[in-house]
Amino acid sequence: MGKLLRVAITLAVVVVAIIAGRWVWDHYLYSPWTRDGRIRANIITIAPDVSGWVNSVDVQDNQQVHKGDLLFSVDATRYQAALVELQAQLQSKQYAWDLANHKYERRKQLTGREAISEEDLETARINTEQAKAAFQLAQAELNTARINLQRTVIHAPDDGSIINLTLRPGNYVHQGTAVLSLVQTGSLYVTGYFEETKLPLIHVGQKAKVSLMSGGKPLIGTVTSIGKAIADTNVSSNGQLLPQIQQTFNWVRLAQRIPVDIQLDKIPNDINLSAGMTVSIFLQDK
Amino acid sequence: MFEELALGGLLFSPLVVFAPLAFVISFVTRQILHVSGLYQRIWKVAWFEVALYICYLALVVYLFGR
Repeated sequence: MGKLLRVAITLAVVVVAIIAGRWVWDHYLYSPWTRDGRIRANIITIAPDVSGWVNSVDVQDNQQVHKGDLLFSVDATRYQAALVELQAQLQSKQYAWDLANHKYERRKQLTGREAISEEDLETARINTEQAKAAFQLAQAELNTARINLQRTVIHAPDDGSIINLTLRPGNYVHQGTAVLSLVQTGSLYVTGYFEETKLPLIHVGQKAKVSLMSGGKPLIGTVTSIGKAIADTNVSSNGQLLPQIQQTFNWVRLAQRIPVDIQLDKIPNDINLSAGMTVSIFLQDK
Repeated sequence: MFEELALGGLLFSPLVVFAPLAFVISFVTRQILHVSGLYQRIWKVAWFEVALYICYLALVVYLFGR
């Protein structure tokens, strides 16, 4: 074997090794995968539309509910009383309007005979209009009271599971303050936090393999969107409104992580997925 | 497909397995070359062996780690 051939074989192996080593490096550093993925879901926070104490809680923690199911009810006594009060007020306004109208009709007949002035008639007419407006106002208030009474029972806005239910009968709940949350059924998706260096390799529609931390068969998903913004810590300011700039090293830079949403194609029935679980995500190369 | 290695609750990179595997393959190759007598004829043995090891590692990663 000639010397030239021996040299050539070694050099060839070295060249192949350089190419292969480069490929391994790229594979680990730039292929679009992340261990920083989470299962997420649409969470609906449920707040009562009226204040009051809770009379009954009709669901249990982690219970599956359907749209329209009764969740809990707020004590309605006060709202019933308000309804009755406004009904009486409506009636009173109705009579006031009748009376004003009656007076006006009577005065209309008197004008022909010049028994009352034009101004008196006009006043009577306006009084009637005013009584009518007062009646309509009372009607509107009654309607509001009716809505309030209806809203003392809180129904599930969608199919889902109750999460972290700490509400107990007797608790006082405030209007607009959320007291329990609901995980919408079938809304589970995955968000992967990918380093920005890997973003050029990620595009919408790409297939993703999602492995749960608990193991088992990986799930298949599709990239639906790539986050367009993350918070920049340099824009916050201190008590004197001076910008708080983070000090960094010149040559060591940490890649930011960008959220990428992945829709799961099919969730097998035998897998119990909970929002918040940790997953590893591997996107298929194109 | 082989992505991570769980040992007693700690997760390791699959390279923890791939690197020794590549080493074993290159060791076997070295033994074969030695027995067949080709070993003496290689120019710059150290270069050759390191390069061969990297090639094997890439091959193992390609086969099991993708």
